[in-house]
Amino acid sequence: MQGLYAIFKKELRDHFTSYRFVILFALIAMVSFISSYMAGIHMRENLEGMSGVKFPFLLLFSSTGALFSMIQFVSFFGPLIGLVLGFDSINRERAHGTLIKLVSQPIYRDAVINGKFLAGVVTISIMLISIVLVISGFGLALVGVVPGIEEIWRIIVYLILSIFYISLWLGVSILFSIFFKGIATSALASVALWIFLSFFVSLGADVLANTIVPIGNANETTPEDVIKNYRIKETTARFSPMVLYSEATATIIDPMQKTTRTSDLINLRMNPMEEMLSSRFENPLTLGQSLLVVFPHTTALIAITLICFAISYMVFMVQEIRT
Amino acid sequence: MRYKNNSRFPLTTFLSVLVSFLILCGWSDAFGEDAAAKKDLPARSIAISAEYTGIIIKADDDISMDLTVANKGRQDEDIDVSLTSVPKGWDARIKTYSFDVTGIHVASDSSKSLTLKAEPQDGLKPGTYIFRVLAQTRDKKLSSSSQITVTTTPKEEEKKVARGINIVTSYPVLKGPTDGKFEFSLEVENKLDKETIFNLTAQGPENWDINFKPAYEEKYISSIRSKEGQSQTVAVVVKPFALAEAGEYPIKVKVSSPEAEAEAELTIVLTGTYKLDAGTANGLLSINALKGKPANLSIYAKNTGSATLENIQLLSFKPENWKVEFTPENIETMAPGDFKQVEVTITPTDQALVGDYSVVLNVDAGKVSKTLELRVSVRASTAWAWIGIGIILLVVIGLVVLFIRLGRR
Repeated sequence: MQGLYAIFKKELRDHFTSYRFVILFALIAMVSFISSYMAGIHMRENLEGMSGVKFPFLLLFSSTGALFSMIQFVSFFGPLIGLVLGFDSINRERAHGTLIKLVSQPIYRDAVINGKFLAGVVTISIMLISIVLVISGFGLALVGVVPGIEEIWRIIVYLILSIFYISLWLGVSILFSIFFKGIATSALASVALWIFLSFFVSLGADVLANTIVPIGNANETTPEDVIKNYRIKETTARFSPMVLYSEATATIIDPMQKTTRTSDLINLRMNPMEEMLSSRFENPLTLGQSLLVVFPHTTALIAITLICFAISYMVFMVQEIRT
Repeated sequence: MRYKNNSRFPLTTFLSVLVSFLILCGWSDAFGEDAAAKKDLPARSIAISAEYTGIIIKADDDISMDLTVANKGRQDEDIDVSLTSVPKGWDARIKTYSFDVTGIHVASDSSKSLTLKAEPQDGLKPGTYIFRVLAQTRDKKLSSSSQITVTTTPKEEEKKVARGINIVTSYPVLKGPTDGKFEFSLEVENKLDKETIFNLTAQGPENWDINFKPAYEEKYISSIRSKEGQSQTVAVVVKPFALAEAGEYPIKVKVSSPEAEAEAELTIVLTGTYKLDAGTANGLLSINALKGKPANLSIYAKNTGSATLENIQLLSFKPENWKVEFTPENIETMAPGDFKQVEVTITPTDQALVGDYSVVLNVDAGKVSKTLELRVSVRASTAWAWIGIGIILLVVIGLVVLFIRLGRR
């Protein structure tokens, strides 16, 4: 533990003093503030004429003020934090020859990778928590709504999900930094993977679904086809961690959302009678129910994060580091 | 040919003889009998008779009476008819439907009807009057007469005062629930010969509310002013006592003035009240259900009225593909005060989205019904949560195993 703590402390200090972290943090924080500020401004206008808005505080995070909401922004660019924090963690040490010096100290070998990963996770947590707190403060000042207990819990769940999501990308970049000797190579590889999983998988899902069950000709497509097409698209898209994360957080942050599916499919699936009798009580879901709805997503996110780290750990532990 | 000719001759002869014999026989037979019947009658005989030979009428009333003129002789007769005696103070004549009659032709062995019309003149005193009618053949050889005694009684002025009020009601018996309002319509006719104020009183079961009101007006009255010969409509509004049992209740309505009074008996048949209450045992109208899994709820139905409810249907209004089942499916009868428990099983479709739905249960007894709106919260199954936690635990255990095996301690 002695070694782990030393590495952890050193890594944390490195992160917080490095320019790239400061630049990145400033960028992310700025964009988040702007988006929630816009949301807040819009919300104040919108709330004036409305009554019975449930959980107005959460709207700060979920409503799209200018271009995108805070949670959308984190789902798009949050991975960059993870990637930037981890892409050179091992191979830089290796390139500078400090890795051999490090393991010749009375430090266990696994303390090196554990410490680096842990320091990354803590950095990410501090970043996210501070951003969320600042936005909440904004909200209090700007809109004047005080969050309730349930809203606070939902934000905490959102934070945990976000930390796991960004840590996943941290794990991926650490894995690449172990695999590839060149720093640029590992950086490129992790960015390529990020772009592929975040953007191309969603596009590919569309293409795949339309190839298997073509829809578009209104006369020939049956509702069953549309549903089938949607199912394929949905299942394929969920290979992307970004889709998993945004579906899960959208449901957590918006208690009125009763499924992770988007609204067009709900309209297809719900019968008129069902819809009518369901809209009779416009009640938000309880936190427990929201959690249960997104539990598969949450499980998948946490599991792949842990697995990703496990692979990095395994590879690093059996690797020859003297050369 | 010859053969045929020979054979036909005797047949035709025989037939013609037979037919002529039969005709002769029949004719002579009928003629013989007719002649014999005529022989029984006297050569000539007439009679005139009145339908009733003595009658009693009220003074001022007209008389109209059938007279029968009969010819019992063997030959047809022309008969003159006349009134030989008409009492003083009367105008009388004999007539048929269209004419005054002085003579009539009556065929042998038949009779004809005439009508005696008599009208009293004004101021005729009561007493006994005798009318005589005479029937005479044209040759004055035969005559017949009949006498009618008419007794007139004085006008019953005193009696008319005694029954100077007449109450008529078209619907003397009304039937309905205990909490209903009954309205009888009475027609009160003033037969007195002066304008009078009538007092209205009613006597009914204890605690019942009985009021009089004019027809089409919303005010309660206890007397009416009525002109002679005029009839007025009065409504009797009855509100039964709330706790009255089902059964028949008589109500006596009395209309009285100093000179006269009249009573009418009205009847109300109470069927009891129809009231139904339904709810859940603890008053909670919400229930949790898992997708595709049945959720149970017990509701009760109570007959709070005083009449028996029959054939109570249990209905539901629910989202499509949902199942709502009742055990029992319906209730046959419920006596007043009865309390029945019904088990309700609500099964949301397994495609249902998580959230709150409205399911309406209806207990319908025809005359009354009660609706319960339930909030059914469809919840996600926790099975996935446990699977998820299991997966994460497995991964963590794997990580720990990795730490131990590769830790190089």
